[in-house]
Amino acid sequence: MKKLRYIKQICIVAILLALGSCNTMDPIPTNDFTDANFWTSPENAELIVNMAYNQMYSADKMWNDEALSDNVFEGRTNTDQRIIRNGIADPSLGLFDTEWEWAYGGLKTCHVFLQFIDIVPGMTAEHKERRKAEVRFIRAHLYFRLVNFYGDVPFFTSDVSLDESQRVPRTSKAQVLSFIHQELDEIIPLLPSRNQLSAADNGRITSGAAVAFQARAYLYESSWSKVIEYCDKLINQGETFGNYSLFPSYSGLFEATNEYNQEVILDYAHVPSVKYWSKYYDAAPLSAGARLNAYAPLQELVDSYLTTNGLTVQNDPTYNDNNPYTNRDPRLAASVVFHGGQWTSFDGTTKTIYIRPGTGGTAEERMDVYINSSSNSTATGYYMRKYYDQTAITNYQSGLNIIMYRYADVLLMYAEALNEQNDMDENAWNNTIGAIRARAGFTNPAARSYPSTATQAQLREIIRNERRSELALEGLRYYDIIRWKAGTQYLNGFVHGAKFANSGTAYIQLDNRRFDENRDYLWSVPRAEMDINNNLRPNNPGYGN
Amino acid sequence: MKKTCIIIPLLIYLFGFGVNSYGTASKSIREKAVGLNQTTYTGVVKDKLGVAISGASVAVKGRAASTSTDNNGHFSISASAGEVIEISFLGYEQMMVTLTQQTNLNVVLQESANTELDEVIVIGYGTTTRRRVVGAVDHVNSDIIENRPVTNLTQALQGTMPSLNIQQRSMNPNDNTMNINIRGIGTMNNNSPLIVIDGLVSDGASLNRLNPNDIESASVLKDAGTAAIYGSRSANGVLLVTTKKGKKNQKPTLRLSTQTGIQTPKILFRPVEGYQNATLKNLSLTNVNAHPQFTPEQIRDLYDHRAEEEWSYDVILQDGLQQNYNVTLSGGSENTTYLFSGGFLDQESNFAGDFGIQRYNLRANVTSDINDRIKISSILNYARNNNKASTASNAIINSSRIPPYYYYRMQADNGKYLVNNALTDQNPLAELRDGGRIDSDNDYFNVNLGLDVKIIDGLKLRGVFGADMFSNHRYTRRLQIPLYSSPDATTPLVFVNTERNTEDYNEKTYLLNYQLLLDYDKTFDKHQITGLFGASNESYTRRANEIRLRFTDPILGVPVSETEILPSSYVSPQQTQQTGLSSLFARLGYSFDQKYFIEGSFRYDGSSKFLKQNRWGFFPSVSLGWRLSDELFMDSYREKIGDVKIRGTYGHLGNQDIENYQYLTVYTPYTNAYGFNNTSVAGAGFRYGNETISWETTKSFNIGADLTFFSQRLNASFDYFNNKTVDILTEPNLSAVFGTKLGSLNIGEMVNRGWEISVNYGFETGNANHRVGGNVGDTFNKVTKYTNDEDILTSDNITKLIRVGVPFMSYYGYKTEGYFQSMQEIEAAALPVGVAADDLKPGDVRYVDRNQDGVIDGRDRFVLGSGFPRFTFGFTYDVSYKGFDFGMLVQGSAKRDMMVRGELVEPFHSNYSFVMYQHQLDYWTPTNTNATWPRLTAAGATSTANNYGRDSDIYMFDGAYARLKNIQLGYTIPNTYSEKIGIANMRIFVNAQNLLTLSKNSWIDPESSEFNSNMSGSANSARNYPTLKYYGFGLDIQF
Repeated sequence: MKKLRYIKQICIVAILLALGSCNTMDPIPTNDFTDANFWTSPENAELIVNMAYNQMYSADKMWNDEALSDNVFEGRTNTDQRIIRNGIADPSLGLFDTEWEWAYGGLKTCHVFLQFIDIVPGMTAEHKERRKAEVRFIRAHLYFRLVNFYGDVPFFTSDVSLDESQRVPRTSKAQVLSFIHQELDEIIPLLPSRNQLSAADNGRITSGAAVAFQARAYLYESSWSKVIEYCDKLINQGETFGNYSLFPSYSGLFEATNEYNQEVILDYAHVPSVKYWSKYYDAAPLSAGARLNAYAPLQELVDSYLTTNGLTVQNDPTYNDNNPYTNRDPRLAASVVFHGGQWTSFDGTTKTIYIRPGTGGTAEERMDVYINSSSNSTATGYYMRKYYDQTAITNYQSGLNIIMYRYADVLLMYAEALNEQNDMDENAWNNTIGAIRARAGFTNPAARSYPSTATQAQLREIIRNERRSELALEGLRYYDIIRWKAGTQYLNGFVHGAKFANSGTAYIQLDNRRFDENRDYLWSVPRAEMDINNNLRPNNPGYGN
Repeated sequence: MKKTCIIIPLLIYLFGFGVNSYGTASKSIREKAVGLNQTTYTGVVKDKLGVAISGASVAVKGRAASTSTDNNGHFSISASAGEVIEISFLGYEQMMVTLTQQTNLNVVLQESANTELDEVIVIGYGTTTRRRVVGAVDHVNSDIIENRPVTNLTQALQGTMPSLNIQQRSMNPNDNTMNINIRGIGTMNNNSPLIVIDGLVSDGASLNRLNPNDIESASVLKDAGTAAIYGSRSANGVLLVTTKKGKKNQKPTLRLSTQTGIQTPKILFRPVEGYQNATLKNLSLTNVNAHPQFTPEQIRDLYDHRAEEEWSYDVILQDGLQQNYNVTLSGGSENTTYLFSGGFLDQESNFAGDFGIQRYNLRANVTSDINDRIKISSILNYARNNNKASTASNAIINSSRIPPYYYYRMQADNGKYLVNNALTDQNPLAELRDGGRIDSDNDYFNVNLGLDVKIIDGLKLRGVFGADMFSNHRYTRRLQIPLYSSPDATTPLVFVNTERNTEDYNEKTYLLNYQLLLDYDKTFDKHQITGLFGASNESYTRRANEIRLRFTDPILGVPVSETEILPSSYVSPQQTQQTGLSSLFARLGYSFDQKYFIEGSFRYDGSSKFLKQNRWGFFPSVSLGWRLSDELFMDSYREKIGDVKIRGTYGHLGNQDIENYQYLTVYTPYTNAYGFNNTSVAGAGFRYGNETISWETTKSFNIGADLTFFSQRLNASFDYFNNKTVDILTEPNLSAVFGTKLGSLNIGEMVNRGWEISVNYGFETGNANHRVGGNVGDTFNKVTKYTNDEDILTSDNITKLIRVGVPFMSYYGYKTEGYFQSMQEIEAAALPVGVAADDLKPGDVRYVDRNQDGVIDGRDRFVLGSGFPRFTFGFTYDVSYKGFDFGMLVQGSAKRDMMVRGELVEPFHSNYSFVMYQHQLDYWTPTNTNATWPRLTAAGATSTANNYGRDSDIYMFDGAYARLKNIQLGYTIPNTYSEKIGIANMRIFVNAQNLLTLSKNSWIDPESSEFNSNMSGSANSARNYPTLKYYGFGLDIQF
């Protein structure tokens, strides 16, 4: 009997042990929401909207896009942008993959939001429509980036299943663009204009942003009349689409104190000390506390700036290439640090930057001097200036917003479209290029007045160059070159630095870039993606499958 | 559910002590009955050479009375004439003496013929002997672990057992990264073995908190037959650690031991001299038509100042002192045993500044037989780790990549820390000396309480409660230091640690463990039956919080008005993890005549990592063994040659080591995702879950043989295994178009095969006793199923591959085909996409055009090799001669590929390195066409992109090596001398570690690897902590 009693006790304890547990066997995450409790509040829905904004663009994207152009040189390492420009990219290139993955990640956020937003309680229908319109804008923006890089891409307008994602074929770029145009037209009336926006909503997508996006999308298709139509809404219909105008100071436009000014149509938000970018840690002069220089303006960019006479350096007899930085477009000094240029430190003091070899009085001043293309100082003889944030904190952590659309761009698009339609005249010039040059700080009337004798082709060159000077280092130059089909003109052959080589007798010769007209207007579809989804083949021409 | 947490231990104790009172009463009655006419018998026990045997058991047959011999072999026991005493000691034949009136006995024990076979081996939930074991188990005792100048148990086990692969990836005391793999790579998931300490499943972190001096033995369970009892977590093998205990009837023994030594950092690579470096830098530039950097005058100047050169890497290193002290008091009475120990370890870091680790250990292991039926045991272990690390995370890179130019100094004579155009805004010396510190203090408390109740003869009930508690705290303080552009500069150019962070991290984890076991072991004539039935529950909880401040007060580090709380700070719910595992398990064994063995076991596990309907997994195994040599027809073989045992097992083992909540779709909030009007807002990301996930299963087959030769002097074991793992839980390789991640799915399959041999041989030459041991093992795995068949993972020019048909995480990339020797060769060759013939020059790398399509692209890549060590071996040799003893351990791997990138391979790597190393001097030139390396080219050039910008075998090296891990010489002072000063035993020794390493690449430590136990990790840039050589001495005293 005793034995039986033991066995009974053992069994009881054993069963208790097996079933009982200190921790529950069905734990609930303490750090995450689940499907069961996420879509239950407007606050949570806003989290996804905010995430979509986060995935729309970034400061790094802007800098990387710019490095694809003839404005910038990444001298330290073989970055993916540099590999593309040197014509040696193959479909396994990391950037082809990461850009694609990033865009579809953002699209997922948009589609999941659009799928679930209707079940969220506690939100007015109007509020939901407005947030949906913002998210639809972001979705269109992501598709726009995708087609500009890859041409035809996998396209869908609701969330894809795992299985679909591995079978979906590519949709033609034209079809995707027509969806973008249609979406933007649909959401313009659903979005508030800049005038209606409360201060707290500064930075939200407005109807003006959607109009500007339409203009840019049509610009990239060279649909000139559409460009004119949408630019006109922003230039002449301010009551409906928001009042915009040029900010009086060109350099001030990119300063933290002037965020959300009247020129900004949409920017990508950063917040001091909590959401920041720090490109300048590897781009500013070393004497200003940069770690190294990995990103520097090219001589070709510097040369593109006009003289104060409104002439190109080739055409202005007063230009002296041994004293190249005097009497130049003021936007040069606002965008680029050249030898003898000024730098305002975080503490507000201003100092001269010495770059020419053999200059600089102290060890500190000599930190910035050009050594060669494989040193810590600049590889080109120039440093970056535009978007330098004087309010940044340690390691150049900057909360400065990155402008995606601004009014000057609208004026430039308008001017370009008018000229392409052969409709440019003195009045239009004065309202566009003239106004921009005046704001830039040109005082010589010769530089501001309408070149009435110029042919359409000459005007085209002038407008294109103006676009480069005004929008340099803002991530747009590459797309302009691509849409102009001007790859061979701008992205082929040697790029250069300042005239510091051979004891100051020659320009620094850097990479010999290669542009393949039959290949390089598009990127390759990522190889890993083609390997998973055979329907992505054939690849874009010239890359191989 | 929560309540059972308290109820169960209560039940165990109530139940236990209920029986207890009954048992105590009965004992006292019986003691009296035999207490008549007793005499005290004394004696001494010696071996045939006349050496006293201490710790031998002396027991009166048929009674509970027993004792053991002291350090001089003496014993004393009360008994009556006519009774029989049994004297036994491990490794010797049992001796029976019938007592007469002669009360002074001299006993000589004969060495047992079956020493090895009767060795007790710890297995899951029990013990067995070498004779009876039918699975693949390796076992080492404390003698292997003690006296090695290692700082933790993992290091101590390196090289001791076949297929127990331990790689010490970093020798940094503050970041002692080590991989442990048993039998190679069996899953794409975590490959770390299960750690069991004194019968309780433990967190892996506890292993290195133990004092190696406290370890009695370690067993490794390698096959299904032995490991399946641990069910769902046993697929990677099980490491069982048993701590020392006192012995019954042993008078108190006090043992003191100490080791002290110096660890000398050995940098395996050296830069060339400054003038040479400048010349080579110029050559790399002019080779790609760029302008030289140094003028001839500058080079001349460097040449003239050669004597003043110093290399920053040398400056930041110093010798480190390592000290270890242990004190152990052990003993036992008739019913109780005890062992108390304390240990202190202090290992200095080799970085300039005052860093290193300190560990304090305290242990109390007590057992007590309350009566004939009840035994209680208690293990209490406390460890304190103080880890003092520097804030300079890049000190090695930032110092080793700077050329030794005489004008590059980290610190001026006036004390100012300097920067220059190579260091820019970094200064490793400043960071190490004055940049603040990361101080961690970690408490580990381990409780292991057991209660054994003998129910009937052969049937025992055992209840165990165990708790592993970790309390970790880390305080980080980063001090701002000004750096100057020159010694006479008055204002600093930059600062390091400009943010002046102060951070506090607190973590608590506890693992609670309950077990109830029924154990049966009974022999009827020639039949032996063993049985085990058990239930257990484990609960794991982790909570952590961290506050991170920046811009704190420069002196106090406390918050001031400008201080910001960094958004990476977090509160407990953000870092809470809870898991539970409930199990039932059983083992049934039968053997006939110690000749035929059959054993079966199963475990039934339920895990909180899976949804209810997929939660439970069943893991059975069966084992068979046959002592062939005990058959009649083998009699003559047995007598002439030795024993033969053949054994085989098959079973299912599980693995569930994935993150929590993988079956749920989760939405994770992120702070500061975006901002409106300069006010930050949060966002949320999501990861999709899959409700169907469940256990991954390894189907494991093992066959082995144990053989002895030369009258058991030589014994050998051989094992072959074949494992197939199905339903491997891993994250699928998805199309990026899907847009987000999926949690782990049961999607992979792989096979893993291998074999191992271990041989031990003991022999004598004259007065010298020799013992030679060797082990070697090899494993080979292959992926057999994976989503979309492959995944190519590239990180910094090193590509790893998951592909059906090749080993998991193989190296993948281009094959080089030497260097171009002429322009004609370049023009005729297939070149990488976009590269024109005139971009390259003779001396640049040529690649194999695998698919012969005239262009080198991703399709031309090969499976290049595997980074997992194969043919790993260990070799030990010990010899004792009179009072002297000598021992050595060599360990290594005979086959391993190792990919290394960065400045140690590529000169002037990506402009991040400014220096060329001596081992890079054999580069291609028109007069040195048969060179090791391609011609020198500057970073950024197309040639450099061609030569070094690709994931090719230029980065692949032979990782095979053999290392004299440990060597020591000791001397035991003869008892006759030591006893005069009251010391029973005294040994002094000198030892050394890592004295000699044979490898094909002198410039890199062959143990360094990018792979962790999961075969993941970013590319190996060879920026390891230097290899440490240890020279020391020690003292071991027993009172």
